[in-house]
Amino acid sequence: MKAYLSIFRMRRRMETQYRGAVLGGLICQVFFGIILVAIYRALYAGKPQAIPLSHVTTYVWLQQAFFRMVVATDPELLDKIRTGAIAYDLCRPLHLYGYYYARILAQKLTGSVLRALPMLVFAALLPEGWGFCLPASVPALLLAVLGLILGLFCVSALENITMAFTMRTLDPRGMQGMLNLLMMTFSGNILPLTLFPDSWQRVITLLPYAQLLDTPIRLYTGEYAFSQAPEALLIQICWTGILILIGCAFWRTNQRKLIIQGG
Amino acid sequence: MNTLRLYCRSMAILIRSQLQYPLSFFMQTLAQLVMEGGEMLAVILLIDRFDRLNQWGPGDLYFFFGLMSVSFYLTEIFGRGVTGNFPSMVRTGQLDTVLLRPRGILTQVLCSAADPRRITCIAVGTVSLVLGSRLAKIAWTPLKALLLAESIFFSFWLLLGLFMVEAILCIHSVKSVELANALTYGGRSACEYPSDIYPRPLRLLFTVIAPFALVMHVPASVILDKPLYGWPAWAAFVTPLSGLALFGIMYLLFMKAMKFYRSTGS
Repeated sequence: MKAYLSIFRMRRRMETQYRGAVLGGLICQVFFGIILVAIYRALYAGKPQAIPLSHVTTYVWLQQAFFRMVVATDPELLDKIRTGAIAYDLCRPLHLYGYYYARILAQKLTGSVLRALPMLVFAALLPEGWGFCLPASVPALLLAVLGLILGLFCVSALENITMAFTMRTLDPRGMQGMLNLLMMTFSGNILPLTLFPDSWQRVITLLPYAQLLDTPIRLYTGEYAFSQAPEALLIQICWTGILILIGCAFWRTNQRKLIIQGG
Repeated sequence: MNTLRLYCRSMAILIRSQLQYPLSFFMQTLAQLVMEGGEMLAVILLIDRFDRLNQWGPGDLYFFFGLMSVSFYLTEIFGRGVTGNFPSMVRTGQLDTVLLRPRGILTQVLCSAADPRRITCIAVGTVSLVLGSRLAKIAWTPLKALLLAESIFFSFWLLLGLFMVEAILCIHSVKSVELANALTYGGRSACEYPSDIYPRPLRLLFTVIAPFALVMHVPASVILDKPLYGWPAWAAFVTPLSGLALFGIMYLLFMKAMKFYRSTGS
């Protein structure tokens, strides 16, 4: 366990190195946030919905703030597979799945916290109706934080499966593109899941993608009432467990079949 | 004319070379189809829920989305050298070889890459255009068709010019080139919708600085018979020229930036 913790720490330090790149990405993300909010404001002006506008703008800003959690593929692993450097990782006296899980977890946590804080400060300074609203209540905020942590574990497990997929082929671009799209669409990044047709929502909120950010955001805005919270959190825990088990099994078979490239 | 022939030759070679691996090409093309389909799905779902956006009905919105989609991905196919490969050319020192050859820098950069996989994105865009035109019951005339062609043609130059911002930043080795994405990808996401739905500062940004509104929305709104900003119809034939103007400015800045270029190769 100690080894995985230090991998986590190392990776976290790596992520904080490129602050310039963070700033560029941040400005871009803020810009996207403003545009999305502007579109929803215009749409709401024509036809108000059951979900208040302030919940939608909150959804947009929280999605933008934790964007790094959703998509951050580790390009290093792909290079390692292509060049054969993965052989070094196999020599480590560690569980390979655990090794990569710790890396991804650190990358996602640091990457998103580093961006989320300044972004949320910025969004809080925006004029009324453009920024995000306060949590429904103090317990709702605590539940949302808990949900976010569970979501982080869940998305890391999910990404490990994606990586296991990409290990199978040497040119994973097509595959990765599709998996990314599924992620972006059903995690609520392109369009808030709360604005999907109501009949779809019953299904998509049960998918693993909704566990990352959709559940914590709904807990935050009070879309999920207090009585529904245990159920929502339980779904998150279940998916995290299932995805870790699948990932472990996948990596184990991959390790047996792995061909070291290069020479 | 020589340059144009060179460019067409390169494109033919590049596209043929990608078709050498049909299965991989097919898979990636399919992935592109799913991705752009996902973008369109978002528009469909929004229209399903909200019915309209200010004075714009469903047909108008599909039309605007299709116009952006077709223009953006035409640029990605034929301008891949600028839209995708340039930063890596600078990083690897590959740009040095370009400087040695007796042809223009930009010509060679443009000739260096093509991305025919995006063809399916254009297919999605075309479907959206047709759907929009049906739903909005556009009465097509030769003049309107000409206007659409003009709009797409100048959008190509506009987008190429905006992508050159990234290239220029890259030469000055500014680390945060992601910043330029705000104008290109951000502009695409924003201007899938007509610019008059935005508040004043954003509207100015997309009309004056990155003139998506002048190149795409003004002509499109005339085709839809709902002139944007209440401008006269003849204006729609003039305003798209601003796309080429932006490209011209960026070209000059690019040439100026090249004077600062320091090779990274070793």
